[in-house]
Amino acid sequence: MLEGILQGLSTAASPVNLLMVAAGCFVGTFIGMLPGLGPISAIALMIPITYGFDPATGLILMAGVYYGAIFGGSTSSILINAPGVAGTVATAFDGYPMARQGMAGKALAVAAYSSFSGGTIAAVFLLIAAPSLAAVSLAFQSTDYFALMVLGLTAVAAFAGKGNVIKALLMTVLGLMLSTVGTDKGVGVPRFTFGSQSLIDGISFLLLAMATFALSEALMSILRPKTDEDRKKEMEAQKRLGSMKIEKSEVKEMAPVIGRSSVLGFFVGVLPGAGATIASFLAYGMEQRLAGPKKGAEFGKGSIRGLSAPETANNAAASGSFVPLLTLGIPGSGTTAIMLGALLSYGIQPGPRLFQDNPEVFWSVIISMYIGNVILLILNLPLIPYIARVLAIPSNILLPLIVFFSLIGVYFVSFNTFDIHLMVLFAIAAVVLRLLDFPMAPMLLGFILGGMMEENLRRALMINNDSWSFLWERDLTLSILIIAAVVLFVPMIGPRITAALNRRRESAGEGG
Amino acid sequence: MLTRDRIGALLMLAFSLFYWLQIDEIRVLPFQANAAFTARTIPEILAIMGVALSLVLLFKPGSNEKVQVAGFLWGKAALICLAMVAYGLTVRPAGFLISTSLFLMFGFWVLGERRPVIILAASVPLVVLFWLLMTQVLDVYIAALPAFLEG
Repeated sequence: MLEGILQGLSTAASPVNLLMVAAGCFVGTFIGMLPGLGPISAIALMIPITYGFDPATGLILMAGVYYGAIFGGSTSSILINAPGVAGTVATAFDGYPMARQGMAGKALAVAAYSSFSGGTIAAVFLLIAAPSLAAVSLAFQSTDYFALMVLGLTAVAAFAGKGNVIKALLMTVLGLMLSTVGTDKGVGVPRFTFGSQSLIDGISFLLLAMATFALSEALMSILRPKTDEDRKKEMEAQKRLGSMKIEKSEVKEMAPVIGRSSVLGFFVGVLPGAGATIASFLAYGMEQRLAGPKKGAEFGKGSIRGLSAPETANNAAASGSFVPLLTLGIPGSGTTAIMLGALLSYGIQPGPRLFQDNPEVFWSVIISMYIGNVILLILNLPLIPYIARVLAIPSNILLPLIVFFSLIGVYFVSFNTFDIHLMVLFAIAAVVLRLLDFPMAPMLLGFILGGMMEENLRRALMINNDSWSFLWERDLTLSILIIAAVVLFVPMIGPRITAALNRRRESAGEGG
Repeated sequence: MLTRDRIGALLMLAFSLFYWLQIDEIRVLPFQANAAFTARTIPEILAIMGVALSLVLLFKPGSNEKVQVAGFLWGKAALICLAMVAYGLTVRPAGFLISTSLFLMFGFWVLGERRPVIILAASVPLVVLFWLLMTQVLDVYIAALPAFLEG
């Protein structure tokens, strides 16, 4: 194993390959910042360019592009509340409020450090545990995936509800309802398309994310008139916009968050499915719970922990998703599917034999992914103060630009003008729901997981001869469902139990 | 009293009922008649959950907060929404460069920018650069001009 690692390291660290990874990071960051173009599109764009290269160089360039695009996506999430990919939705929860408070540079730096740490810890796990973890990921069946998705949804509903879990649950259901629009994947019948050809393929994630986050945020900013006090605050905030200074106490606060989120992210990432997305939401929910009532209340308002957790977890999960790809030949996410295509085009067949037959390829892929992570940090940290200056553009210029980039990002994917009109409709609906204090995050996660949940439930029922008994007969499924129930009901019942206990204590005190 | 929560509950209830009614339109294929899982199963579960949760939100004692919209600039937001709709209608027939430049210029103007130099400088060069990036670098085809001018 050590020989393989050293061989991989010597290949990845040659000057040409280092140059490639640096170029890849730069281009990837740039592409990732454009709404609509995430890591998948960025890598897909690179495949034709890398045809002439030798496999290691090509893969190293793609690794750079991959990490660059992930960081670019986080940048647009933090600066303009426009999460272009599902994995960075949770980043916007606290990253965007931080940017609005004039801490854009700091938020970007926290995101960069957290991503780097998540990637580093996950890379170590990958080195140590990749072959044995493949067996664990194979043990998961469709019933367990279904339960895992229920857990993801309940965790989000529980934390995003901020005391109003019913509203968060309603939004989750709304997201699940929207995910049923389009052709049913089981038998191919259209559902809720109202005879429109444009809805046959369903609603795209990007459309919904851009409309409910970026566009509705822009509309809310237009709706709310600025007071003199707001303007004064903005002026103050702009002075420290590019500052990346992180206090010692904040580093201390982030360190355990990064540790926990890396472990969680990596293990969720190993499971094929919506790895990075579920991981980021679960890490956010877990950290909010662990932060205690006082620090937990800061989540959603610009908490460093709230930004660090999902950023660490989504990067760790991205590394984790390479476990099933390299060891089983199963791509667990869209990005790894593209990477699988790239590997195959070089004549490399990922799967159980890769580790035995071509250990040098196996290790050079893993090490090149990690070098991409390191170069990204070195390359992007000096750029952060300049990237953060985007927010110094006056709002009467910035807001129409955000609207334009959101619309065009979606239009360029489908080239269907119907999508632009649908976005306007969703943005208006999102503004109404936000005014009524409904959280958007559970809706988006419900939408992302809806299709997969239905697919896994259908498969589970087929395997179990149309019997629902798998929900309580399979230990792993039942355990995950019990955790989901605990996650959901504890915040609902917990405060009541505490209040009842306090009352009893008070009355006992009076009596005594 | 019509509080913020109750208005939300009523809207969600109306949407869930509408969704429920639409389930009848989903075709169930003959061989699926007795199956435990059809294309209607998940929508039916979701409709029931939507209605039930809306009713809980409607009747549970909650906060008495009302919707805060005093002083909101509805006119500006409506104009931007209309501009988006118009952009969707014109981006193909008028071509990317013209429709996008006009959309941005109108947006800047609605939000209070009155200096023509700024309005022009922040729209036209950016649109041309963006078009060049997409078509020349990333190889995404976008018609720049109206069809009759492109020949």
